[in-house]
Amino acid sequence: MSVISLQGIKKIYHLGDNTVHALRGVSLDIEEGEFVAITGPSGSGKSTMMHILGCLDSPTEGSYLLNGKNVSNLPRQELADIRNRMIGFVFQGFNLLPRTTAVENVELPLLYTRPVMSNAERNKRAVEALTAMGLADRLDHHPSQLSGGQQQRVAIARALVNKPALILADEPTGNLDSKTSIEVMRLLQELREKQGITIVLITHEPEIAAYGTRIISVRDGVIISDEKNTPRNPEEDLAAVAPIAAASGY
Amino acid sequence: MGFAAHLIALAWQALMRNKAQTLMAMLGVTVGVGALVTSMALGRGAQEAIKDQLLAAGANMIIVNSGNYQTERAGAGGSPADHGYIPSPKPQRTPYLVKGPIPGFPNVRLLNAHFEDDPMAEHDHPLASERLGDNMAGLGAAATLTLDDAEAIRNEIPGIDFVASGVHENARISLKADPMKQWFTRLHGTESDLPVIRSGWIFPYGRFLSASQVRDAEQTMVIGRVVAARLFGEGINPVGETIVLWNQDFRVIGVVDSTSWAAQPSAGDDQFDAIYIPVTTVHSLLNLSKLNTITITTESAGETTRISKQIEDILRRRHGITEQMPDDFTVKTQAQQLLGKGLSPDVARIVAGNLESIDALTIEQLSASLQRANRTMLALLAGVATVSLLVGGIGVMNLLLLSVTQRTREVGLRMAMGARGSDIASQFVLEAIVLSVVGGLIGAACGVLVAESLEQVFQWSTDVSVISMVFAIIVAAVLGIVSSVYPAHRASQLNPIGALNHE
Repeated sequence: MSVISLQGIKKIYHLGDNTVHALRGVSLDIEEGEFVAITGPSGSGKSTMMHILGCLDSPTEGSYLLNGKNVSNLPRQELADIRNRMIGFVFQGFNLLPRTTAVENVELPLLYTRPVMSNAERNKRAVEALTAMGLADRLDHHPSQLSGGQQQRVAIARALVNKPALILADEPTGNLDSKTSIEVMRLLQELREKQGITIVLITHEPEIAAYGTRIISVRDGVIISDEKNTPRNPEEDLAAVAPIAAASGY
Repeated sequence: MGFAAHLIALAWQALMRNKAQTLMAMLGVTVGVGALVTSMALGRGAQEAIKDQLLAAGANMIIVNSGNYQTERAGAGGSPADHGYIPSPKPQRTPYLVKGPIPGFPNVRLLNAHFEDDPMAEHDHPLASERLGDNMAGLGAAATLTLDDAEAIRNEIPGIDFVASGVHENARISLKADPMKQWFTRLHGTESDLPVIRSGWIFPYGRFLSASQVRDAEQTMVIGRVVAARLFGEGINPVGETIVLWNQDFRVIGVVDSTSWAAQPSAGDDQFDAIYIPVTTVHSLLNLSKLNTITITTESAGETTRISKQIEDILRRRHGITEQMPDDFTVKTQAQQLLGKGLSPDVARIVAGNLESIDALTIEQLSASLQRANRTMLALLAGVATVSLLVGGIGVMNLLLLSVTQRTREVGLRMAMGARGSDIASQFVLEAIVLSVVGGLIGAACGVLVAESLEQVFQWSTDVSVISMVFAIIVAAVLGIVSSVYPAHRASQLNPIGALNHE
């Protein structure tokens, strides 16, 4: 069974007198354990696709099955519950709460989990998730005390903490330098390889999309290509980047 | 862990992220609740002060004096022949000499005289002057009251708190250790209940006469502050010293002073330039059975008029006074004297300002006018507190609206993480409640501090009650809820996509 199954998805916005056809009929199946990169220029409709995949928005037409459940026309409240249980978000700007420790940031999705989780259980899960991201010694650091890469790893720990069916990463490397970007991509690859987590990555950078196992190109609200890909090896890229970083004093 | 506690944890986290903002919004609530607590403390304090002053002045006190200097019993409708007639008590002693012309000796007139004054008379007991060697030991004039009268009042009338019998004399006292140190003062023979009746009394040294000392007619003495200062000096503890009265030794067991800031005792004061000894001791030393006064306190100040009437009825019956005859005693409530003494000018002005006619003053009118004055004052203070709370509430709402705008991204993030609209709304409501209650607690503490300082610096009476504190906290919580409803609703209706992209 597919994790994601889109059938004829259309999304139409009404902005004043203008009607914007953001998606014009998208059909797509994503299997468990895939690392799908969705790529396209701005205005291509990839952001709208991400919103619908992330249950942040409902399609105007078509059906969306997430883990076999039709979520295309659910009320706000049920969409919120599905986001909480099934989807882990990683954002471009990290979206960590300032003046809040790493553990508290990672606990955030657990605060809205029903039935209510005990303080101890929340803390235990958050610490586990951060430890898995190699941040065991940064538990009580605030975002401002962490590097960009560390912040994004906190964000990934937060996305993983509720054991979702799907990780949705929206331009996760947009605010990072190339070395850190490669490290984050290596991390996502490891999650897929070692834990079999399904990942959907939205990016406009072809070289970032190249780390996925499948690349989908979107343009003007339709899929123009959907191909299997041999993922780039981040270790090679790191080796290439390291001398530059060393020369520039990193 | 319950869901409510879980939500409070959320609110607390959020508040602690913006300490400065939180503090500023708290300030508004703190000021409002502080004003509320302070004004309630001042209101209650003023109420207590008025009540204390009234009680210290004896608002609930009735004094029965023996003898009657009125010419007519009020409302008795006596005949004109009764006017000016002061009836003698039931004849217990046969007049030894008669007043007026003696048959057969038209030019000889004898003065009315007590039989003890007849040097030729034979007595079955030693005269007071022989026994005590003190010709100052004068006897009360129309002593018509007895200890049995006091007992009857105590037992027959409901609504009476305390009854104390009294014999009052002028007395010369001297120090045993230094006989040249003398003082001429008022002597009150009394009972152990007197301090409870005179609620404005304190005992800087020692204590008052005990019930057993009164029962055993001990020669113990409590002295007023003025007496203590004259005989021993200011600030010296005279307890245990011996004072000579009527050639008898009396042990000093206490000093009595006034709590009233309105009436400071001075020489000539009936209460504090005075000495107190057991009434039984006076009776046995002077061989008396009469009382000059019976002092009564009622449970409620409003009942003094009814109880005065009942006392009159009982005493008239016991003294066998017929319908046409005036009383051989005088029942007085202290209310008439309130405005003249014992009340501070401020309080007196409040009371007088609410009275139609001071002459017709009754204790009921006095109580009613005080209540009116209190209500006016409390309404004013409540108005001030309401306005400050309103301002505080607007402050909280302002902060929350600002906070919803500032934290739109955070709201979007929380929604993306699975928060429902209701989670977001309850988060903001709870933040407001936590903020208001914490602000309220600080405000209540500040209010207590302000009230205490006002009392210290300006000597204003304040009274902080637990109920007023609880009330203030509840008001703060309600304030938080009311002022957060609109901002919380707005936050809960945000669209997660728009909120996430909000800059």
